[in-house]
Amino acid sequence: MEKKRIIPRWLAGLLVASAVLWGQASPAQEEAASPLYRYKAYEASTGYYEAYETRPRHQRPLIGITGLREGVFPYSPTAASVRNRSRLGDSHRALSFYNRRTCESCHTKASENLHSIRGNLTCRQCHGGEPIASIHHYRSPLNPIRRHAYVCSKCHQGASASYGGYIIHEPNPALASTFRTFPVLAWAFWIMIGIAGGTFALFIPHTVLWAIRELFSRDKPSKPGSTP
Amino acid sequence: MSKRLYRFTPIQRLFHGLLVFTFLIQAASGLGRMYMETPWGKALCLVFGGYDGAGEIHRGTGLFMLGVFALHLVYLLFCIQWRQLPGCLMGPDSMVPHPRDLGHFLQHVGWFFGLCPEPSLDRWGYWEKFDYWAVFWGMVILGGSGLMLAYPIFASSFMPGWSLNVAFWVHRLEALLAMGHVFMIHFFIGHLRPRHFPMDRSIFQGSARLETMARERPAWLDRLKTDGKLGERLTDEVPLARKAIYMVFGYAAMAAGLYLLVGALLHATHITW
Ligand code: HEC
Ligand code: HEC
Ligand code: HEC
Repeated sequence: MEKKRIIPRWLAGLLVASAVLWGQASPAQEEAASPLYRYKAYEASTGYYEAYETRPRHQRPLIGITGLREGVFPYSPTAASVRNRSRLGDSHRALSFYNRRTCESCHTKASENLHSIRGNLTCRQCHGGEPIASIHHYRSPLNPIRRHAYVCSKCHQGASASYGGYIIHEPNPALASTFRTFPVLAWAFWIMIGIAGGTFALFIPHTVLWAIRELFSRDKPSKPGSTP
Repeated sequence: MSKRLYRFTPIQRLFHGLLVFTFLIQAASGLGRMYMETPWGKALCLVFGGYDGAGEIHRGTGLFMLGVFALHLVYLLFCIQWRQLPGCLMGPDSMVPHPRDLGHFLQHVGWFFGLCPEPSLDRWGYWEKFDYWAVFWGMVILGGSGLMLAYPIFASSFMPGWSLNVAFWVHRLEALLAMGHVFMIHFFIGHLRPRHFPMDRSIFQGSARLETMARERPAWLDRLKTDGKLGERLTDEVPLARKAIYMVFGYAAMAAGLYLLVGALLHATHITW
C-alpha cells in the first residue's frame, strides 16, 4: 500500500518544484515586460478614452508632438513648443466672415487631398462639427493620440495609431519645402525621378541613334538558301 | 523558306505572354484611376467597371503578377545548373550581367557614330539583359509598395502610417518609369527598329530569323557551330495563320501601349491627384 502511493507523491513534488524553480508562465512575463503587449491591450479597448487617460499631466497644458515643429515659437520653458492656432478648442475663434465661407475658400491647399478628391469626403467627416478643434488641442478628435479610434476607424476598420500616422494633407512631394516638412517623401520622390530620368536620358537617345544607324547600315542581302 | 533559330522555350514564351497581358491591365487600370478627373481616365476606368472596379482589378491582377513572378523564381531554380556554379552564371547563355556587356554597350554606341564595327553579340544583348532585370526591379518595388497600399492596415502594423504616403509616390513613379520604358523603348527595339520591322516575333514564336541573328549575334552562331549544336536549333517558319496570330497579338499590345502613352502625355496637365 505504502509503496503504491510513493509515485504520485513524487510526481506532485516534482510539479511543485518545477513550478517554483521555473518561475511564472511565460505569457504573464511577456505581459509585464513587453511594452508592445501592453500597447495591444490598450488598443483592444473600446477606442473611447476616459478623460484621465488623455488629459495632459500637470504643468504641461499642451501635448508636445516630437517631430511636428512647423512654424513654432517657444511657449514657455516647461511646455513643448506650440504652433499658432493648432492648440485651440475652436480653431476659428474670432475669425471674421468664417460663417459665410467654405472650408476650401480659406484652406485651398488642405482641400487637395486624396480623401476629399477621390474619396468624396467632406471636411467635416474628419474634422467634425462646430467648433472645429485644432489638430493638437488635447480633446481634438484628430489629436494623434486618438485620431485612429475617433476618426479613421469610422471608415477603416481596425485602424491603429500607426495607421493614423498617414499624412492626410500630404504636401506636394516635388516642392523644395517638402524636404523640411516630410523629408522621406521628398527624398523618395526625387530619387525615383532620378532613376526614371536617368533611364530615359540614357535609353531614348540610345534607341533613336540605333534606329538611325540601322537605316544607314549596308546589310548584305543574303542569298536564299545560304547558311551563315 | 528561310530558316529560323530556336531561341525561347514554350515556358519562357508563356511567361512573356502573361507579363504582356497583366502589365497592360495594370497600366490601363492604374492610369485610369490616376486620370480619373479627365474624360480619358473615366473611359479607361469604365472598361473595368468604374473607379472602384478598376481598383479591385488592379489589386487582383497585381497579386496574380506576384504569383507568376514567384513561379518564375521557382523556374529559375530549375534552370540553374547547380553542378557548374558559379561558372554557368557568368557564361554567355546566362542572363546575369557581365563586364563584357558594358563593353558591348560602349562598342554599340561607338558603332552608332561610325567609330567602330558593330559588336559581335552572343546569345543575349545588353539591352535584353537590362529589360529582363528591370522586371525584377519593378516587381520588387511595385509589388512591395502595391502590397502596402492594398493592405494598409496590415502594413501599418509593421511600419509607421506615413510610409503609405511614401509607398504611394514610389508606386506611381516606378509605374510611370516602367510604362515609359516598355511603351517607348522596349516596343521600339522589339518591333519597330529597321532590322526587325514590322515585328520581331521571336518571343512569341520561339525562333528568330537566322539572317538577323547572323548579323547581330555572330558570336552565338559561332559558338553553336563549334559545339555542333546549330543543326538541332534550326527550325522552320510557322504557317501563315500562326504568324498572323503572333502579329495581331504583338500589334494589339503595342497599340494599347501607345494609346496609353499618348493619352497619358496629352492629359498630363490635368492630373488632380
Ligand atoms: C475664413 C477663412 C476660414 C474658413 C472658412 C475655414 N477656416 Fe479653418 N482656419 C482658418 C485660419 C486662418 C486658421 C488658423 C491658421 C492655420 O493654422 O492654418 C484655421 C485653422 C483651421 C484648423 C486648425 C489647423 C491646425 O493647425 O490645427 C482646422 C482643422 C481647420 N481650420 C479646418 C477648417 C474646416 C474643416 C473648415 C470648413 C468647415 C474651415 N477650417 C473653414 C481659416 C478658415
Ligand atoms: C480623412 C480625414 C480628413 C479629411 C477628409 C480632411 N482632413 Fe484636414 N486633417 C486631417 C488630419 C488627420 C490632419 C492632421 C495633419 C495631417 O495629417 O495632415 C488634418 C489637418 C488639417 C489642417 C491643419 C493644417 C494642415 O494642413 O496640416 C487643416 C487646415 C485642415 N486639415 C483642413 C481640412 C479641410 C479644409 C478639409 C476639407 C477639404 C479637410 N481638412 C479634410 C484629416 C482630414
Ligand atoms: C468617411 C470615411 C473615411 C474616413 C473617416 C477616413 N478615410 Fe481613409 N479612405 C476613405 C476612402 C473612401 C478611401 C479610398 C480612396 C480611394 O480609393 O482612392 C480612403 C483611403 C485611405 C488610404 C489609402 C490611400 C492610398 O493611397 O491607397 C489611407 C492610407 C487612408 N485612407 C487613411 C486614413 C486615415 C489615416 C484616416 C484618419 C485620419 C482616414 N483614412 C479616415 C475613407 C475614409
